[in-house]
Amino acid sequence: MAPLRTKKSTSLIARVFLVCVGILVCLPLIGAAEFSLREGGRTKHSFHAYRWIFEQEDFSKTLLTTLQISLVAVFVTFFLMVPTVAWLHIQGKRYLRFVEVLTVLPLIIPVVALATGAALALPAWIQSSKYILSMMYVVLAMPFTFRALDIGMRGRQLDILVAAARSLGAKWWSIIFMIITPIILKSIFASIFLTVALSLGEFTFAQLLHWSTFPTWVAVAAQGNILGATALSVSALLSAWLLLFSFTFFDRKKQNEAK
Amino acid sequence: MAEDLTLSSQLSSFKVTGANSRTGYLRNGIGDILPIAPLVIFLLVFFLWPISAVFVNAFKDNDGTFTWSNYLLLFQDPYRRAFYNSVRLGIISALTGAIPGALIALIIEKIGGNRLKKIVASVSGVLANTGGVPLAFMFLAAFGPEGLATLSLKALGIDIYGHGFTLFSFWGLVIIYSYFQIPIMVIIFSPAIEAIRKEWHDASQSLGASNYQYWRFIGIPILIPSFIASFLLLFASAFSAFATARAMTVGNISLVPLIIGTLLDGNLTVNQFNLGYALAMGMIIIALIAMIPYLIIQRKTSRWLH
Repeated sequence: MAPLRTKKSTSLIARVFLVCVGILVCLPLIGAAEFSLREGGRTKHSFHAYRWIFEQEDFSKTLLTTLQISLVAVFVTFFLMVPTVAWLHIQGKRYLRFVEVLTVLPLIIPVVALATGAALALPAWIQSSKYILSMMYVVLAMPFTFRALDIGMRGRQLDILVAAARSLGAKWWSIIFMIITPIILKSIFASIFLTVALSLGEFTFAQLLHWSTFPTWVAVAAQGNILGATALSVSALLSAWLLLFSFTFFDRKKQNEAK
Repeated sequence: MAEDLTLSSQLSSFKVTGANSRTGYLRNGIGDILPIAPLVIFLLVFFLWPISAVFVNAFKDNDGTFTWSNYLLLFQDPYRRAFYNSVRLGIISALTGAIPGALIALIIEKIGGNRLKKIVASVSGVLANTGGVPLAFMFLAAFGPEGLATLSLKALGIDIYGHGFTLFSFWGLVIIYSYFQIPIMVIIFSPAIEAIRKEWHDASQSLGASNYQYWRFIGIPILIPSFIASFLLLFASAFSAFATARAMTVGNISLVPLIIGTLLDGNLTVNQFNLGYALAMGMIIIALIAMIPYLIIQRKTSRWLH
């Protein structure tokens, strides 16, 4: 929408305010990056702390665990959510509201409480696999993944397309992969991305269910080497930001092309 | 909306019966809801079952007999104190997130070109997802006694440690939380500001309203529900945050999530699991009190504004 009318002076104050916000955003990050490059004193800098990361056996081990967990979470999200939301839009519009309310529930319940319940209630054979975390991350991401897919499918006339495909003899899996997936590709990417971002940084469940994932390892490693932990945090944040940034820009570019 | 719904469901059922009569015949039977069964079962197992188990077990003592004592303990210190701290942290952190966040969203909308809007949206999206352990260590390194931020502020004449400040405190947490709370506010409040039409401002001006009157009688009343909804969401996010608090406070502020974490770690000699369940139920009840109005306002405002 068009910007509201403003006087020159308010505009200047606004700009100064934004610059201050920008500085406040950057200050902790630059401070932490500088701190992680220190070696002993205040003046000497090196990549010592970063080399330390790669010397840690648990670094690659926990990172691999976290990646496996997030991969499974992505697959479960895809196969659980895409067919369900598609069906709701094609035939089950009556149940759309019900499912929407259902999927928003995980947003309401504090994660600590849900983790407590999972540790208490779920049987040992489920809890003995680290992929229980994948399942819980699917639940945690659901308010966002459902909404992303729901918005992506609105007004796309999936019912007509699917009816056409079925009349040509398409099986359900080819409908999902060859018709629905390409149409809502952007929403699927968004929900995959949300799930991955959540799985990579999640701490509460991993901690309370006693699994050693990347975030919990960072917390443990910090007790032995604060420089190393800072280096880890800075690189974890930077790589997460880079990923998210590239995604939002890719996303917007796509949107502009579509217009 | 209602017309649209019935029309398209008629259309789809008509088409599907034509294409594949098997689903058509089952339209009013169990087969009708079969496709949402996987999702419902998934949520039953991994969401409702754990929550109900917490609810039930909070009423049990260590021998498994019914008791109110776990819940009664919540009203005594140190647990009463922990709830007080957590709610206070939620409210203050929501305020320190909501007010600057709303200002930023408003300013971006007022002076922002498309490029600035895009950058702010991306940065907010990124920062809002930044939480947890790395965020805590980032602040510790930058604002620690030897950190670059501390030293450069000192060079400017601001000695943050001069007044006994420490990041390992209630206000330290408020500052750190604002790093993700403000961006969340920018994201969820921007749509409400974008929905304000320029025509409303023009209309009020043509009727002789001043800028102040426009905001007093039109702008702010329209934005208030969205602001309250955003505030409630921020409250819930700070109230139940665990990872950052856990990495930051070494037991010097008592917060409910941290106590639950300690009780369930099982390092204690006395078995206090059931107390942990009662604490979790307490958190759920407070979160419900905050989130149900949020959902209602959300639903209403999205109807008004779109």
